[in-house]
Amino acid sequence: MLSHEPEVRVEVQNLRREFDSKERKVVALNGVSLKVREGEIFGVLGPNGAGKTTLIRILSTLLLPTSGVARVMGFDVASEPEKVRAVINMASGAERAGYDYISARGNLWFFSQLYGLPSEVAKARIKALSQLLGLDDYLDRKFYMLSTGYRQRVTIARAFINDPKIVFLDEPTIGLDVMTAMSIREFLIKEARENGRTIFLATHNMAEVDTICNRVAIIDRGRILTSDTPTNLKRSLGAPALVMEVSPLPVNLAFLGAVEGVKGFTTSVDEERGLARVQVVVESEECVRRILAGVPASGMRLVSSWRQQTTLEEVFVSLVGRGFVEREHEVGE
Amino acid sequence: MESRLWLRALYARMWVRVMSVFNEPLWIAVNIGFPFFSSVGLGLLYSSTGLRSFVGFAILGGIMISFWGNVLWSMASQFYWDKQVGLFEIYLTSPAPMTAILIGMSLGGVVNTAPSAVLVAVAGWLFFAPPLSPSWLAVGLTFALTLASLYAMGMMLSSLYLAYGREAESINEALHEPVSLISGVYFPSIGNFSPFPFSVQVFASLIPLTIGMDALRRALFFSQGLSSIYLHLIVLSMR
Ligand SMILES: Nc1ncnc2c1ncn2[C@@H]1O[C@H](COP(=O)(O)OP(=O)(O)O)[C@@H](O)[C@H]1O
Ligand SMILES: [Mg+2]
Repeated sequence: MLSHEPEVRVEVQNLRREFDSKERKVVALNGVSLKVREGEIFGVLGPNGAGKTTLIRILSTLLLPTSGVARVMGFDVASEPEKVRAVINMASGAERAGYDYISARGNLWFFSQLYGLPSEVAKARIKALSQLLGLDDYLDRKFYMLSTGYRQRVTIARAFINDPKIVFLDEPTIGLDVMTAMSIREFLIKEARENGRTIFLATHNMAEVDTICNRVAIIDRGRILTSDTPTNLKRSLGAPALVMEVSPLPVNLAFLGAVEGVKGFTTSVDEERGLARVQVVVESEECVRRILAGVPASGMRLVSSWRQQTTLEEVFVSLVGRGFVEREHEVGE
Repeated sequence: MESRLWLRALYARMWVRVMSVFNEPLWIAVNIGFPFFSSVGLGLLYSSTGLRSFVGFAILGGIMISFWGNVLWSMASQFYWDKQVGLFEIYLTSPAPMTAILIGMSLGGVVNTAPSAVLVAVAGWLFFAPPLSPSWLAVGLTFALTLASLYAMGMMLSSLYLAYGREAESINEALHEPVSLISGVYFPSIGNFSPFPFSVQVFASLIPLTIGMDALRRALFFSQGLSSIYLHLIVLSMR
């Protein structure tokens, strides 16, 4: 759709951010570099505590970097925040921001005024955005009367009210019902495709990244481990993952570390059925055979096993050796 | 361009403040009720004890206490609540200047409080017909400056709230009664008629509300013009 080379809209070089808490120094971002272009939906995917929110707060001028450079539309976020603010907007799933006793329409009008929009322009935008987000029938309800899902639709509409070049979204669909999450995702795809908007999405929802992002950076402990299209990342793994259910509890999976070709694994325990489900990212079919032979040899019973199409979760497991949930426990989030 | 953004942001913040209250009839009732009944009560007390000239003070006090309450209870904590729900970050990431938002918030507060102030003034006038001897120019100017310094204090308090969060609510509790008392909302707390010792009077003069109340009483009841209260006005405009 674009007839020219898409322009670079976000450029981050060697970004670092530290927090000094009482007991310890936390390095939330540890040398992050990336580049995002016009019309892209760029996902930053990682477990809780990986540094996603910190990155978004720096890019949207709410937080200063400790070192490194971040540019948005060519403007330095640290030294030219006003110029950045004029061309961006942001929203977070944790916020349900609005004035309770004002209608959805009134709230959107208020937010448009923070960008100095003339009234007719503001009205036209509110109308167009609410049509796209299915808000028409709810515009005249007071904000506090809206359900969580509709409030989040208002929040998303707000994030596009100033016709921004770049929208930063931090877990925008967290805690939402499936229908709302779906219509928000459809809206985002449309905005990127038809209006060339850049959408910078931080999330720990792998399915979300898989369905809407053109490109994804996988982040862990403040570092970007890899960055590519979701398809390429999944393809890079080679063989589909192996899933096995083993018993009895507690299981001892130490032998997996010694099997050649195991890139990592993640475990979840099903107490009710008295077994553990182990998902192993493998390099080859040969490796699968060795694992299945290793289970009885380690004194466990193999209840069932099957192969599973690769998702981004396995990509993360192959890079870190652990799944999201286990990683969150290790990091203490 | 810049000044247009400034004005739009200011107007919009004022608008949401005003509409939030006017959409909620109960709040209006509370807003109007409290200052109304306390000044009518005091007015009755003063007039039954024969303190005719003090009746006017009670009514003026009722008017001013409405604004003071508005500054303390809704201006100061507003930013804190804005922050809780995520609005504050929206202000910060937008190009709108924070001064426009603060002033809009203040003007909204003034508009919200105006009905109760007007009601107290009209009712006070009808019930008690206090002896007035106003110098209107001085009254207007003093009133405007007193409000400005009150709301400037509100803006300061709202920054305190941001820094200390909910604990700051106890600052309000601590401020409300003593300030209402020593700043002499209902009676003269500085000068010849003051019941307080000199040291308390010096302290009271540090509060802009004290200076404003004193100047307002002089202008409204003792026909003192700009020439005699100019010192008050200078002090007020320095805040
Ligand atoms: N204000 C702060 N003070 C201290 N530590 C912080 C602060 N904000 C974030 N952190 C720490 O920085 C790390 C990254 O946090 P965050 O960016 O919120 O991660 P994510 O959004 O990926 O969950 C975490 O270890 C978190 O505890
Ligand atoms: Mg986060």
